[in-house]
Amino acid sequence: MDNQWAVSATGLAKRFGERRVVDGVDIAVPTGAVYGVLGPNGAGKTTTLRMLLGIIEPDEGQRMLLGHAHPRDASDLVGYLPEERGLYPAMKARDAIAFMGALRGLDWKTGRARAGELLEQAGLGHAADNKIRKLSKGMAQLVQLLGSVVHRPKLLVLDEPFSGLDPVNQERLEALILGERDRGATILFSTHVMAHAERLCDRLAIIAGGRRRFEGTVDEARGTLRARVRYRPRDPERVSPDLLPADAVREGADWRFPLPDEGIEPVLGRLLAAGAGILNLSIERPSLHEAFVRIVGEAAMEAKA
Amino acid sequence: MSARRLIRQTMTIARRDFIATVFTPIFLLFLFAPLIMVAFSTIGALGARQAADHGSERVRIVAIVPDAVAPAIAEADRRARKVFRRDEEPPALMTMTPSRDVAGQARATFEAGGYDATAVLYGPLDRPTVLYGPRGARTADYLAVLAGSALAAERLGGTLPSISPTKIAFTRQRPTLGGQNQTAFLAVFGVFFLTLFLAGQVVGTMAEERSNKVIEVLAAAVPLEAVFLGKLLGMFGVAVLFIGFWGTVLGQVTSLLPPSFAGMVGELSPAVGLPMFALLFIAYFTMAYLLLGSVFLTIGAQASTMREIQMLSLPITIVQVGMFTLTLSALSEPDSWLARAAEIFPLSSPFAMAGLAAADDALWPHALALAWQGLWVAIFVTMGARLFRRGVLQSGSSQPFWKRKRG
Repeated sequence: MDNQWAVSATGLAKRFGERRVVDGVDIAVPTGAVYGVLGPNGAGKTTTLRMLLGIIEPDEGQRMLLGHAHPRDASDLVGYLPEERGLYPAMKARDAIAFMGALRGLDWKTGRARAGELLEQAGLGHAADNKIRKLSKGMAQLVQLLGSVVHRPKLLVLDEPFSGLDPVNQERLEALILGERDRGATILFSTHVMAHAERLCDRLAIIAGGRRRFEGTVDEARGTLRARVRYRPRDPERVSPDLLPADAVREGADWRFPLPDEGIEPVLGRLLAAGAGILNLSIERPSLHEAFVRIVGEAAMEAKA
Repeated sequence: MSARRLIRQTMTIARRDFIATVFTPIFLLFLFAPLIMVAFSTIGALGARQAADHGSERVRIVAIVPDAVAPAIAEADRRARKVFRRDEEPPALMTMTPSRDVAGQARATFEAGGYDATAVLYGPLDRPTVLYGPRGARTADYLAVLAGSALAAERLGGTLPSISPTKIAFTRQRPTLGGQNQTAFLAVFGVFFLTLFLAGQVVGTMAEERSNKVIEVLAAAVPLEAVFLGKLLGMFGVAVLFIGFWGTVLGQVTSLLPPSFAGMVGELSPAVGLPMFALLFIAYFTMAYLLLGSVFLTIGAQASTMREIQMLSLPITIVQVGMFTLTLSALSEPDSWLARAAEIFPLSSPFAMAGLAAADDALWPHALALAWQGLWVAIFVTMGARLFRRGVLQSGSSQPFWKRKRG
């Protein structure tokens, strides 16, 4: 078993009818990492996750899940929260969690005991014997999430885990993900909310139009865009466009331009020599959101072309 | 994947389905459905019986004979009536003294108020004339027999000799052909009735997972084959509970019945012997349940709404009745190509083989048939799981196979 990668796949492709939903995706999730799969709606994230887990078979490509070529062989070591949440409404919260554990090989007795502990930790101890239909949507979602970790999986796969949760439960979920990572589990999750990815991910892949457009760390994703300089002169009259980079844009009293390849020093030298002075100067790193929008935008342009 | 793991996963699904079905108030309704059915049938039958009895009390057969002959006719009626069961007895006999126009008197009897004559006899006993109304042909024959007995008594000096027979019940060691046929029919009917009542229950079981969206959780954790088989076994457990409950109830009720009923049961004599027949009956019911259940489950899994599931019930029942009819036809012609076809065709095979167990003592065909049927259960479950995966578990599409475009 290759311990370096919890999940690896090359050239995954899936077609539904005439539409090629996933088109040759490569992915490699390091063991013990929190890995995000980012993409706009309809990018192929869910289909990719389903193929990785063996819920559906790829038309093309190879995959390895926890060292197994057949994902089914590793299913007892995996926890999964699907995008479309689903629980049996007539089941009690404790039983629902134990049932999901039993599906993954955990005996019922241990499952029920652990379910009680997990519900207490999540602040839902009072609802352990409530039927799912009596719980709020957020609580039910949390119960399902607890069901996906009750058997202490080595790999936790979460498809859009934050959707539908209020800020308090989103925070609980982030804590749970980090707790699972600290326990030694690998976490693979999909999202289109950049803030969560920025806070949680060690590495991420951006998928758009069924293809992987980026793979790397959050910093590397941000690095695909140049930093932006915002400059406000002390004496605006002394600033002429030829002192600034060609793509500088005036925004009120400020000038904005991408950080030149040679750095900010030559530009500053010219401005100081001309007597423009510096009232305010900032170099802004692009956010993951901006990097995502650019990468996805390029993919959309490519698709149109 | 190990077989042990597959069994564990299957049993997890089966356990969930069994508990979810049995521990609900609705299950009590299901469990007592036969009682409700019997109660309604009994009320209906009692009503019909009462109406029929009310009319039959006034029905008469009439003998227009001289007063001297009337006692002999009445005595003949008393003796002959003994051989009939109560519900098969001819209408009560009424005697009349002949008038001058006896033929006119006989016709007038049909129009008389206060009673309904079904047949009227008049004329000399060796050449009597019997008039009869609608549904009176058999009573006309009965009246003719009474005339014959009365005539015989007259010729023997007024009464027929009385006979005192010694009646000894005899139990035959060899199964009778009639008993075997009866057993075969009951076996086929038993398997058919139980599967008709119980296997149809699995049609809608996948709908719960689809409507609750639990299916993806299941599909990610266990193979769909285990989901399908687990559901079949879960509902089979419900069926076994149902049969166990009613079997116990009927067993207790039967023990209270009179010995004559037990004698009737004793006539049921399967060719393979009763213990082996009981085992084979259970095995074929299991196979019939799994086979038909897997087909119904596959079809039901493709339906996404309750309306679609309800619409599927009729074709499903037609298929079941079709298999039953095929098997009955085969029973009436053993060793024919029809019988072989019914034994080989997977959906009718459990019915036909249950019938064969009653009529033929060879055991090897049953081993072969059970293996054959088991193979088809596996094929149906695998096919069902694949169709389901293709039809339902693809992102953005939940089209059943009959709505899917070929591409």
